[in-house]
Amino acid sequence: MNSLLNPQTPFDSSAHDDFLEQMLSTLGPSSCSSWADETPTAPPSAGNSDNNVVFSYDDSSNLASKFRSHQISAGAAASKSSPTASAAAAAAMMLQHQLMMSRGGSSSSGNGAPMGLSLGSNGDFNDVGDGSSFKSPNPGGGDGGSSVQALFNGFTGSLSPNQPQHFHHPQGGALQAQNYGAQAAAMTQPPANGSAGASAAQPRPRVRARRGQATDPHSIAERLRRERIAERMKALQELVPNANKTDKASMLDEIIDYVKFLQLQVKVLSMSRLGGAGAVAPLVTESSEGGGDCIQTSANGGTRGGRSGNQTASSNDSMTVTEHQVAKLMEEDMGSAMQYLQGKGLCLMPISLATAISTATCHPRNPLMNGNSNNNHPVITSNGGEGPSSPSMSALTDY
Amino acid sequence: MNSRSLLLSPNPNSLKSRFTKGLLRALSRINKHRQQPRSSREIRKRHRLIKAAAYGSMASSVGNRRAWSRALLWKIRNQTRRGYAATRNIGSSTRQLSMKKRICDLQKGNNSKNRVEVGGLGQVDKLRRLVPGGQVMHTCSLLEETAHYMKCLATQVKVMTRIVEVYNIP
Repeated sequence: MNSLLNPQTPFDSSAHDDFLEQMLSTLGPSSCSSWADETPTAPPSAGNSDNNVVFSYDDSSNLASKFRSHQISAGAAASKSSPTASAAAAAAMMLQHQLMMSRGGSSSSGNGAPMGLSLGSNGDFNDVGDGSSFKSPNPGGGDGGSSVQALFNGFTGSLSPNQPQHFHHPQGGALQAQNYGAQAAAMTQPPANGSAGASAAQPRPRVRARRGQATDPHSIAERLRRERIAERMKALQELVPNANKTDKASMLDEIIDYVKFLQLQVKVLSMSRLGGAGAVAPLVTESSEGGGDCIQTSANGGTRGGRSGNQTASSNDSMTVTEHQVAKLMEEDMGSAMQYLQGKGLCLMPISLATAISTATCHPRNPLMNGNSNNNHPVITSNGGEGPSSPSMSALTDY
Repeated sequence: MNSRSLLLSPNPNSLKSRFTKGLLRALSRINKHRQQPRSSREIRKRHRLIKAAAYGSMASSVGNRRAWSRALLWKIRNQTRRGYAATRNIGSSTRQLSMKKRICDLQKGNNSKNRVEVGGLGQVDKLRRLVPGGQVMHTCSLLEETAHYMKCLATQVKVMTRIVEVYNIP
């Protein structure tokens, strides 16, 4: 047994030597230490040999021993093919063995052994999370098992494609072999590809699924997919302003409404870009959905222009009418005048600012105003004007 | 008031500045072309041009990195090439494509048991219709594209409002 632990496996120096040695060394001591940390029922001598730890779990001890024999035979068989393959197979068996041990407590305690997490942690075998929730062994889904997957990527890189079959083969009778098979299947596929169709094709004994663990590659792929969708939904939630976070369906509704709203804004802005040339098409009434000050003013301006019937003459008339109206209102009460103006989508501002803006606007390099200078309603629709403080200005100028 | 520098000064390579440049260029081109439109039909046509310019410059500033921008660019290029009626045809053809894809997916789905869909109440379909190129995407990539598309739409709106403010169009 110890020979499997020793890194002096009979293979020449290949590229994977160091990697395998490292892995085997981490497997040995770290596994034992983690087990010693987490389970008080660990063998009294938390020795370095696997045997003690193997037989600490009564349920799976028989299986473990059976499995060991399978492993050794498999290892021996594999040694003929390639030395690296045997070492890799041995290491893989070690891993699988660890996994088996981790799940050895399945029938004993419902909570499962926390060492499953030792392999599930990212690249640090000593790091074992709390045993509260037994994470699924599927490495592709959560943060668990990426280290395991890295190991297996290393393996499958060096091995021929039929090696995974070799791994699966000796586990045919093992109780936990199915989990391993599912995991290996999920791991040999790139996790981004959530397709469930590529599991190892062999009959596996049906096992009652434990909480949080799937025995079926289909459901593993399902969970992958669901997790990815949940991630994306969370990211979307942060983008949308009113994030209720209650429910996926309502969140989708929010998202759809927000996208529609943004598209509507773009449409309205592109319409208003043409200047006051009248017939801005019937802008939708629900344009006032917040952030819509500009939209509202443009909508008002547009509809006002539209109502005036596309005639510059009549709009000029309406301008003077408006001017008179505002002047009359200003005599009475500034506030009502301002409200009247705002209702029309106008505001007051100091003449200096108006002239400044107009010179900037009528600058020859401005390409947008050239075609529009005839029909422009040059009322300034920015609502940040000086309104109530200085009544002696007028912005209703015609250019 | 140097409006262009105001818009671009923070970061000359960001999405916003690229979009602004493209949009302004397209708008100047549009205004150079057309005379002042009198009839409502011309006005509507100009609306569409401007809207296409906005979306087109947004898509080209994103480039080919995103599926929705690729779909949008493709649509606009075909639209300009074959006239406006082409967009309707393209829309229907993508719908046919998506139907075929759905059928294939359904058949696959029947083999693998209980594939849990996001479902909702046909909301995912609505989203597909909204996001350009969303008809032929899987659900999770659709969500990713939606996030990026929303961000770009918000940028678009910001830039366009700023332009309207600056050039003082009512």
